Amino acid sequence: MRAFLFIQGLLVLGIISGCSTMGVEPWDRDVLAKEEMQLTTDPVEAATDDHIYFSKEASSGGRGFGGGGCGCN
Amino acid sequence: MRHLTVFVTALILLLLNGVAAADSHLDLTAYEGKVVIVDFWASWCVPCRRSFPWLNAMHAKYADDGLVIIGVNLDREPAAAEEFLREYPPSFRIYYDDSKYLAKEFGVVAMPSSYLLGRDGAIRKRHYGFKVKKQEEYEAAIVAALGDLE
Amino acid sequence: MKAKNKKSITGTLAAATCTLLGSSALEPVQAQEDPGWDFNTSLLYYGEDNDRVQDLSLKALTRRTFVDDRFLTVGLTLDSLTGASPNGALPQSVPQTFTRPSGRKTYSTAAGQLPLDDTFHDSRVAVTANWQQPLGRLYQFNVGASASKEFDYLHLGLNAKISRDFNQRNTTLSAGFAVAQDELDPIGGTPTGLTLMLDAADDDDDDDDDEGRRKGPRETKDILDIVFGVTQVVSRNLLVQVSYSYSDTSGYQTDPYKIISVVDGTTGDAVPVIPAPSNGPSHLYYFEHRPDSRAKHSLYTQGKYYMDGKVLDVSYRYMTDDWEIDSHTVDLRFRWPFGGSSYLEPHLRLYSQTAADFYRLSLINGDPLPEYASADHRLGDFDALTVGLKYGWKTSGGNDMSVRLELYTQSGDISSSQLIGNQLGRDNYPDLNAIIFQFGYQFGK
Repeated sequence: MRAFLFIQGLLVLGIISGCSTMGVEPWDRDVLAKEEMQLTTDPVEAATDDHIYFSKEASSGGRGFGGGGCGCN
Repeated sequence: MRHLTVFVTALILLLLNGVAAADSHLDLTAYEGKVVIVDFWASWCVPCRRSFPWLNAMHAKYADDGLVIIGVNLDREPAAAEEFLREYPPSFRIYYDDSKYLAKEFGVVAMPSSYLLGRDGAIRKRHYGFKVKKQEEYEAAIVAALGDLE
Repeated sequence: MKAKNKKSITGTLAAATCTLLGSSALEPVQAQEDPGWDFNTSLLYYGEDNDRVQDLSLKALTRRTFVDDRFLTVGLTLDSLTGASPNGALPQSVPQTFTRPSGRKTYSTAAGQLPLDDTFHDSRVAVTANWQQPLGRLYQFNVGASASKEFDYLHLGLNAKISRDFNQRNTTLSAGFAVAQDELDPIGGTPTGLTLMLDAADDDDDDDDDEGRRKGPRETKDILDIVFGVTQVVSRNLLVQVSYSYSDTSGYQTDPYKIISVVDGTTGDAVPVIPAPSNGPSHLYYFEHRPDSRAKHSLYTQGKYYMDGKVLDVSYRYMTDDWEIDSHTVDLRFRWPFGGSSYLEPHLRLYSQTAADFYRLSLINGDPLPEYASADHRLGDFDALTVGLKYGWKTSGGNDMSVRLELYTQSGDISSSQLIGNQLGRDNYPDLNAIIFQFGYQFGK
């Protein structure tokens, strides 16, 4: 458990520190702006699946958040 | 003489095409004495759609007072920009920044980005993003810049 | 003059004063154009084989866009459930009879069949609401509520999330939490865990001293979820996300309708009640009992990769909890556009879980009772596979329609070391096979 959290923490820190070198210019987000490139493309389908699997299995959720996209405004 | 020829050719191209030929740099010195809005946009940027009618309104209102608006397009392909322009026809100049040199020179960090240059050519204000609620604020900055006669 | 101009411009070159926006998990949000409405609706059919559960579900998500990237999203789901689910008892080579949860009647299972309780023809209504807005330019804030009601179940929840962009919006950090309280009012009252299933009674006294059953107060459980996530734009075509979530549930988590067969320690067969009752269970069955608390940890990671018009979506989730359940979920989707406005999207999902430490197939007659025990297959060892295909297109009006058909299979395995006597020859843990068919329609954009 501890090892698991530690690795998680490292991953996050690694991403945050490494991220300053990663990424694209603000004007290079044409692909990321597309609907099919969003993390959750269809929220109704995602909610449907979450509910089905929650009812039939012992795990639930875990799905993440936002970010990506066109980065506008 | 050669500089003048190049400059005039570029201007003519701008006037005739709407979207400038790739790789010809934008000469902002031509606008000294005017208040210039350099507005960076792209066809996939939705707040840009919101900003175009407003930019047209500003052009209509203040062009005679010396306001020049240049919409700098940062699309990868001019074709995408042209489709956008058919839907939101601008009354102001569009410049296609193919090499993205202008975006880098201005230090664009967000889309859209708008830079207000005073009559002396220096950047007076910039705003990232376009907020409907801030339209009055944006306009007030234009008026203030127009009011400063060098 | 030219030099002077250049200096003025470059002089104001901003060092990374990054500006921000994340996008909501609720909808694929790009900064919207004009205030307006858009709708996302679907009709779902879910059906298991062998007369098991069938569900027909109508879902609608409505989003109202307000000026400057603010959104109100309201969702409604209506479910109609029919069919039967396993009651936890083992199949036997003789018929079995069980008392219904209401306590008034009985139902029977033929020899060799998996015992299913078909009591429930249930309807469910669920509503959600979510408000999203930027906070300054750096942050995005979400707050929401959820509620659902079935005939014996009520859920109420609140959730909130905040996210901030860094590195010219290439990195987004998010944090969120959700709290919920669920209330269960089982039909026939809440049976005391690990007590015997009783005979049916025609008169329905609402007294509390009916041995083994009590009516009210309602059972409740409280749930707290917290999530932290990082989203990173890796390149023009690749977006990656990692999130960690912790979930804590305390309160009543037992399934009041599920039982466990009591078996003979040698033969492994269910112990019959002798003499056989006229109106009651044919064999000995205990009601299950689960712990009052559960803590889960999940690690979720997802990547979306754009390849010349096609999009590959890969995600992996690892879950571990203090019931000793571990699970792995791998989900792959590949969107393949064609014809300008259509796409095909094959889907593959692989799932595996290990059993809860109190999961057992049966209880041995005469052995001391454990503190917790459940024979609910959903807490057992199993693998599951989903294979599906989705087809989407644009209508002549420019709206999005889609259909998807998926097959879901769950197959459990009990190691022979856990089987007793005649259980070794039987299919104690029949596979679950289900069809998922969904039609979707989005409009108003």
